[in-house]
Amino acid sequence: MRFYILRALVLKELHRHAANRGGIALGLLLIAAAVMLSVFNPAGFGGGGSSATEAASTSVVGGVQHCFVCYTRENSDVIPPLVAHLEKTVPPELRQRVRLREMNADRIKEGVYYQPGVASIRLNAYTAGGQPHLRIDVFHPPGDAAAMAPFENWLWREMRVGLQEIAEQKLKALKVTNANLPPIVAENDDLWAVRESFAALRRDADEWHAGIVPEVQITREGLGGQTLELRSAIATALVVFALYFACVYLLPTLNCEERERGVLLAQALSPASPAEILMAKFLFYPVLGGALAAVIAGIYKPAVLSTLFFWSGLFTVAAGFLGIGMTIATLAKTQRAAFMGAMCYLLSVSLVLVICSTNGIPFVSNLALEYHVPRVLHASLSGSVHSVHWLHLLAAMALAAFWLVTAGWLFKRRGWQ
Amino acid sequence: MSDAAIHIKSLRVQYGRFTAVDNLDLEIRKGELFGLLGPNGAGKSTTIRVLIGQRRPTGGSVSVLGHDVVREWARIKPLFGYVPDRENHFEEFTGNRNLEFFAELYGVPRLRVRECLEMVELEEAGNTLVRGYSLGMRRKLLLARALLHNPRVLYLDEPTANLDVHSAEVVHRILRERVSQGATVVLTTHDMDEVEKICDRVGIVCKGKLVALDSPLALKQRHTERQTDVILATGERRTFDMDRDADRQALADLVRAGATASLQTREFDFHATFLKLTGQAFE
Repeated sequence: MRFYILRALVLKELHRHAANRGGIALGLLLIAAAVMLSVFNPAGFGGGGSSATEAASTSVVGGVQHCFVCYTRENSDVIPPLVAHLEKTVPPELRQRVRLREMNADRIKEGVYYQPGVASIRLNAYTAGGQPHLRIDVFHPPGDAAAMAPFENWLWREMRVGLQEIAEQKLKALKVTNANLPPIVAENDDLWAVRESFAALRRDADEWHAGIVPEVQITREGLGGQTLELRSAIATALVVFALYFACVYLLPTLNCEERERGVLLAQALSPASPAEILMAKFLFYPVLGGALAAVIAGIYKPAVLSTLFFWSGLFTVAAGFLGIGMTIATLAKTQRAAFMGAMCYLLSVSLVLVICSTNGIPFVSNLALEYHVPRVLHASLSGSVHSVHWLHLLAAMALAAFWLVTAGWLFKRRGWQ
Repeated sequence: MSDAAIHIKSLRVQYGRFTAVDNLDLEIRKGELFGLLGPNGAGKSTTIRVLIGQRRPTGGSVSVLGHDVVREWARIKPLFGYVPDRENHFEEFTGNRNLEFFAELYGVPRLRVRECLEMVELEEAGNTLVRGYSLGMRRKLLLARALLHNPRVLYLDEPTANLDVHSAEVVHRILRERVSQGATVVLTTHDMDEVEKICDRVGIVCKGKLVALDSPLALKQRHTERQTDVILATGERRTFDMDRDADRQALADLVRAGATASLQTREFDFHATFLKLTGQAFE
């Protein structure tokens, strides 16, 4: 690598962008948006919860996509048959979204960190005063209890049916055949009506044999942690867009424009080696995108510029997007193809993420850099970095490395032409 | 030691099943202005592409100034200049800035940029954006760029296309000057007059093969038809073959008798020769 050649190539890129007023205007618009976000900041960040059970912020899609029904079989003769009944009666439309998960008795009382779009219902049986109790905790997204409606519609009805079946079997075992337990209130998911329905069942069953139906206690609680704070989400979007714009859009289109016009050939025939030409692009575009992103983030929240997590995230995203941009630039032959490639990539990844998120398709989302990136950057910008965000950062680093290796391999195979 | 600047041996280039260059053997001497002619698709541009290292030969070998083009491409690059058939400038830069960028890559002083612009008579347009240049100005800027580093070998693909007569003369002068300073120039062109005027030697390629190789003068001598067309006073047209004694005698008799109204010798016709050699002449 010769410094004077790298310098000439990087300055060339700089001059090209200086001559491109559209790009400058877009960069200024992004900065203006960040300034507006910073200046008009009435409320600061969203409130945090104190619950031991917390939800991560930054959900791509709102509402509840998955609901864990957690239970423990320990110390209970009611929960195993009740869970078996619930398992059998999950409606088809919820089958991909409901997960029944067994926990040990200690774990079920502990706080659990849930991913965005995930809620939880916990079944915990215990005995108090010689009487069986069944505690049902409903953890819904913060500020959005209604998001649990589809799950609760199913749960209350089938739980009531299940408990009645269990009671009838127990009475049958006790040779009681004419118990005539009360009818099931199936339509109503109103909490008072539900409680009343369970209570009525318990009262009637107790007339024949005490303790057959446990006393049901229902609690509802919003998951702790921060909600998706709109302002930091917008700041995150601006930062991600700045990097995407520089590395995945500008780099391939301008690179392909050079190739299409034959300017790339002219440079390649000069003493500049293909590696130097590539290195100059590798140096310029991530720095351009990273600088713009840092300016936006710094305007929104200056303190973020002093955090290692933010810079690690920014570096990783820049590297990953650079790999994606160079892959598109290597595959596309023309400027138009590069533009279409960048757009198609963006749309494809967005679609995959939404489809996976709404249909409960596991693992696939984790393969997309864009799944981890907003979470990492939003955590930085909203100041709520948890261990899960470090895992996202690690995953993003691995994916960035993958894209860089892919770009390098393709470049080597297909050449700079 | 060989005086060949470019040594092409059994060069073969294939695009799939199509053979663009077929077993081409050619030596171009140092300090020679060599013209490569041929009809469209003859293999001229492919040959140039191999010479500048942009196309790997399917077979054979090519060396420039003693360096193998494939294996030692990086060493050859600073030694040659290339004027492509299609202009390739940074449209958003001025002519000056375009040359400055390449001057930085070649490590030549900025003063040289001014010299090259003056050489091609573009010094006044140096600070104009290239997107405002005419086709001719763009081509001259290409030549200026190729000359920046005083290359020892210069490849030009139709260097005078779209140039006015004066500009074409300027280009010819520059090329002759380069050759007189010891550079080797290889150009492809469709302008037969240009070849005849400036080239030391000409290679005519057709269907990937070299069909003729000589100086324009030698080609002229070899392919000039030694015939004379005569229109007699009676209006009758006759042709006399100057290689036959009987025809020469008959023509002399007619001239002496004053029976000729018009008499014209057939001059060398490079176009006709080219078409004949490449098998494209109309019957």
